[in-house]
Amino acid sequence: MHIAEGFLPPAHAVAWGVASAPFVVHGVRSLTREVREHPESTLLLGASGAFTFVLSALKLPSVTGSCSHPTGTGLGAILFRPPIMAVLGTITLLFQALLLAHGGLTTLGANVFSMAIVGPWAGYAVYKVLRRYDVPLMAAVFCGAFVADLSTYCVTSVQLALAFPDPGSGFLGALGKFASIFAVTQIPLAVSEGLLTVLVMRLLVQSSKGELTRLGVLLAGKRSRTETEAVAR
Amino acid sequence: MLPIDAAAHSSRWRRRHPVDKAVLGLGLTVLAISLPPWPGAALVLVAALSLLLGPAGVPGRRLWRAYRVPLGFCVTGALPLLVQVGGPEGFVSLAGDGPVRAGELLLRTSAASLGVLLFAFTTPMSDLLPRLVQAGVPAPVVDVALVTYRMSFLLLDSVRRVRDAQAARLGHTGRAAEWRSLAGLGATAFVRAFDRAARLQAGLAGRGYDGTLRVLVPEARVSVRFTTASCALLAALAVLTFVLERPLT
Repeated sequence: MHIAEGFLPPAHAVAWGVASAPFVVHGVRSLTREVREHPESTLLLGASGAFTFVLSALKLPSVTGSCSHPTGTGLGAILFRPPIMAVLGTITLLFQALLLAHGGLTTLGANVFSMAIVGPWAGYAVYKVLRRYDVPLMAAVFCGAFVADLSTYCVTSVQLALAFPDPGSGFLGALGKFASIFAVTQIPLAVSEGLLTVLVMRLLVQSSKGELTRLGVLLAGKRSRTETEAVAR
Repeated sequence: MLPIDAAAHSSRWRRRHPVDKAVLGLGLTVLAISLPPWPGAALVLVAALSLLLGPAGVPGRRLWRAYRVPLGFCVTGALPLLVQVGGPEGFVSLAGDGPVRAGELLLRTSAASLGVLLFAFTTPMSDLLPRLVQAGVPAPVVDVALVTYRMSFLLLDSVRRVRDAQAARLGHTGRAAEWRSLAGLGATAFVRAFDRAARLQAGLAGRGYDGTLRVLVPEARVSVRFTTASCALLAALAVLTFVLERPLT
């Protein structure tokens, strides 16, 4: 759901940049504090950024028969928290714009807002609420990843509708137009990304329990039913 | 290494300071979105393409491979402008000025993409990132970006090898196998990233790591002549747009 380079008029590009700035600045402050207190975190955070970048390079089979890639925002937010994801997501989007020609520099603010801010925060909020009500880990992970992906797509539709209102029905008509066109691929992709995130998390629970505990995804000394089953297997 | 970055390392303008290339490439991008699409974006498109294939020496085939990706997104994104929702002609009908709007959008996005590609094809990330500290980006963020950049290639290579191994073990023969393999790839990337970070940390700790990553940056100076010529070209494009706008519209 990257908005391509030059797609947004200058005023919109600047406005979305301004809207994203407070979240990115907050994330930068969190990251700087973390690195100053624990210098070794630089490498861990760099590895997390590389993981997010590589995740977006994986080809995901789509229900429509085509192929796409996961956004990784849901998994990233669950693993590394939304403020850190705002920074890692911005770095990843910058790399994608300059190294892969995906997205752009003038649309970086808009893409950061949808993919590195709204997606992670929405997915993380759903995940946390479900975990608070003792919903099983994997169900919460699926819902978090699904909502993160879907909210990213909704925000991008809003951004495009604001930039290109329909000549007949204005903003609402344009929103319906963009949302319905993207829905053909994005809703199946959101389901696909939710399933993939669950599969990745199941493997991580089996193989990287230490790292997940360190990141706060799993509680030290407490095992849920899914984790117990995974360890038993 | 990714194709655009590999091309940047062997570019004719590799030794130029990133500021020189940013003024030219990103200046063209800003012009493309600020000027009227016709004839402004068209002039920017021609100028950027001439610079890429001429003085910058980017091979045409390599440029097309990178350019067709944003071009595909631009075409897909411009299609909804051809139709309108509501109005006297029915619920969904062809928009009267749709082709003009879609054409203008295509011109603008394709010109703006070429401006960024001019910068990306001539400036390796390893030259750009360490200099961001001078632009006011906090050093810890730049350090994280540097580690991310260098580790991305290693992880992409690992992922490619794992994918090949999965294919050799019939891991992509059916839909279920494909999903299992994909999940394995994601998890392996995570495990390898963290394992590599831990080993890097151990290695750096043994060398007196104090929290800052010092890297050698190739020396380069901002060329006043190059920057002035770039600004002159940008100004000329802007003036030419306003002069030609009325006769060509």
